[in-house]
Amino acid sequence: MTRGIMLLALAATALALAPACSYGQSAIEGRVELPKPPHAPVMNKRYGIVAYGGVLSPYPPVAVVYLEGAFPRVAPLPTQRMAQKDLAFVPELLPVQVGTRVEFPNLDDTYHNIFSYSPAKRFDLGRYRRDETPVPSEVFDVAGMVTLRCDIHEHMRAIILVLDTPHFVLTDTDGRYRLQGLPGGRYVLKAWLDSRTTLSRAVDLPLGGVLRADFP
Amino acid sequence: MRLLLAMMLVVSVVAVSTLLFTQRNLSARVRLDFESELQVEVSALHALQRFRDAALAERCRILAGKPRIHAALEDGALDLLYPSAHDELRGMMEAEDGAEPGPGNLGADFYRFLDPKGGVIDPGGASGVGRLEPAEESQLVLPRLPERPQTGYVIRGAATLPETVDEVIAMPIVSTEDGETISAMVLGFRPPALGSEGPGARVKNGIWTGGRLILPGFPAAACEQAAAEITRAIANAGAGHGSFEFRFGGSPYLLFFERLNAGSLYPAAYEVSVHPLAEALSSQRQLIWEFAGAGALALLAAFIASEVISRRLSAPVERLVIDSRESREHWERAEAALETTSRELQRSARFSADASHQLKTPVTVLRSGLEDLLAGETLSPEAREEVSRLVHQTFRLASVIEDLLLLSRMDAGRLKIQFSRLDLSLLLGSLVDDLSAMPDSRGLRVETDVPASLWIAGERRYTELILQNLLENARKYNQPGGRISLAARAEGGWAIVTVGNTGPAIPPESQKLVFERFHRGTVGENVPGHGIGLNLARELARVHGGDLRLARSDGDWTEFELRLKLAESATVAVSPP
Repeated sequence: MTRGIMLLALAATALALAPACSYGQSAIEGRVELPKPPHAPVMNKRYGIVAYGGVLSPYPPVAVVYLEGAFPRVAPLPTQRMAQKDLAFVPELLPVQVGTRVEFPNLDDTYHNIFSYSPAKRFDLGRYRRDETPVPSEVFDVAGMVTLRCDIHEHMRAIILVLDTPHFVLTDTDGRYRLQGLPGGRYVLKAWLDSRTTLSRAVDLPLGGVLRADFP
Repeated sequence: MRLLLAMMLVVSVVAVSTLLFTQRNLSARVRLDFESELQVEVSALHALQRFRDAALAERCRILAGKPRIHAALEDGALDLLYPSAHDELRGMMEAEDGAEPGPGNLGADFYRFLDPKGGVIDPGGASGVGRLEPAEESQLVLPRLPERPQTGYVIRGAATLPETVDEVIAMPIVSTEDGETISAMVLGFRPPALGSEGPGARVKNGIWTGGRLILPGFPAAACEQAAAEITRAIANAGAGHGSFEFRFGGSPYLLFFERLNAGSLYPAAYEVSVHPLAEALSSQRQLIWEFAGAGALALLAAFIASEVISRRLSAPVERLVIDSRESREHWERAEAALETTSRELQRSARFSADASHQLKTPVTVLRSGLEDLLAGETLSPEAREEVSRLVHQTFRLASVIEDLLLLSRMDAGRLKIQFSRLDLSLLLGSLVDDLSAMPDSRGLRVETDVPASLWIAGERRYTELILQNLLENARKYNQPGGRISLAARAEGGWAIVTVGNTGPAIPPESQKLVFERFHRGTVGENVPGHGIGLNLARELARVHGGDLRLARSDGDWTEFELRLKLAESATVAVSPP
């Protein structure tokens, strides 16, 4: 009887692993038509998040492409980092998976005070300096866009895009991307362009194949 | 006998009519001097008030740019708006405790935010926002969000009495994301207690708004009567200022009113000062009695003279000469009395200058205190950074006061220029160097067209101040990546300097106002400044015998033209042996 149960359990494990074996064999690549920047950057080049007409967008334009679907959780998630250097966030656009811890080390010689009032994550790290230990960090456990600001330096702005998927990638400045290590199946592929624009399309991923998907 | 009568008649008629004429003339002059003294006093108060308003507006402007307030409004976190503002405004709201309101105390009484329709955003249970009765809060509402700071006056204490008036400033909050006005921060301040000492001790100052006059220390019935008369005067004349006499309880008063918040979206308010006339009238009456006395004496002398003349027909002319000498002495005595009065009146003209001086000392004390604090080793690094920012602010405040002092010295005609030969080309070169070294030049390109060795007559620091102000303006009101052009040339005994910059043009209706004191352009709402620079620059140019004018402002180009006297023998340059 016990042996029977064990066999059943083994069989179930094998079944559960079966799709996992196909995991990591498919890929999507393509190009996102990036919006033209609304105007020449008026500020110093180092500002990577610009605002125009109520929209926050990365400058130069890049997109975040991600695959939506029910994926098994991989734990633990690696810690990400968003530093403050030369009075700007580095990087200024950071996509992370729900549940990721992000560290905010200060690499400047002045104080920073990072905070966010966004509905997806409200926090306030208070003032801290270069050598603050442990490095101030936050766990982002609700999907959505989080706008980060510094209470001392009003021009500093960054976006953390909290996504409910492990499969995401930043495009290059031409809009090209490649998402790999994907399971086969039907999913929705999305491209985040700015705080108001997210494009999406349905994809049917062949097992072990490479799909080409362009936006739009 | 007939001759005696005829002479008496002639002498009486001449003496009486001369005295009457002189007396009437003198009363009119005394009255005019009295009114102009009061006018000077009211203007001095206004100058101080405007300076305080500029300082308050500057503080509000800084607060309205705070990241937390922007985050609460832009990132959909209205519940955090008042708590965030509470943190930012803590220093300002605490200043009210214990400190008397005055030009030096910029503490606020209360603050609120307006929603996009101009209504008050309910602070809910937020603490430290300053208590307001519903009737008081409703006075903060605006018909729409303002594009520029608005000044208003709110009547408070209707329930508790006595009623007071708070000054409010509604500072627009412009989204950093799309440049739209998303809210306004309204801060309420108690007006400064001025006019309680000095020449205007008996003068009562108050504020008229919405048909009501709030004038502390003045009977309510008198306020009501005066308010009605001001309302009528404003409706009739539609004037920004005016004055009239009115009687209350048998006593005469002279009342001045002057618009406080011209062009504001808030209801019109007028600064009102009431001066009791009883004393002035009594001194005038005394003067009349003195004259009447002198007149009687003169008449008596004339009668005696005519008597003597009629008796001694041989010497009539001699007696007449003596009579007229006596009259002249009386006249000279009256003149001397008038001179003393006029000196007294002039003293009050120094009020404005003294006010600036009194502001200068506390700033110096404040700065040295802060610097002592910095020198000590007890401060935490956070506090040290905070304190050095405060030290920086005191330098800014001191420079505004310096400007005001300079202006008031010029107003009083006490600025003497030490003319010397100046190499304008060298001066311009070094100013351009300074400009390029500024950390915030936003990629501006400076083009210069200045001939070598252009010598002018002027005082170095004031000439430098004029040029600095012009270049500073060209930088401040420029567009990012824009251009500043600086050219100089000699033309018929003048050195003509033109300073041009790219950037939005000054609207035509504002062009004639740019040199007005405390005028600030609409294009530069987010540009720091006090509206003194151009006025100061032009006054200084004129003291130098030159002039400053707006040459053109259209499209995206604005150009000022400065005219200074060339030094005599301009062609002879001093060369080393």
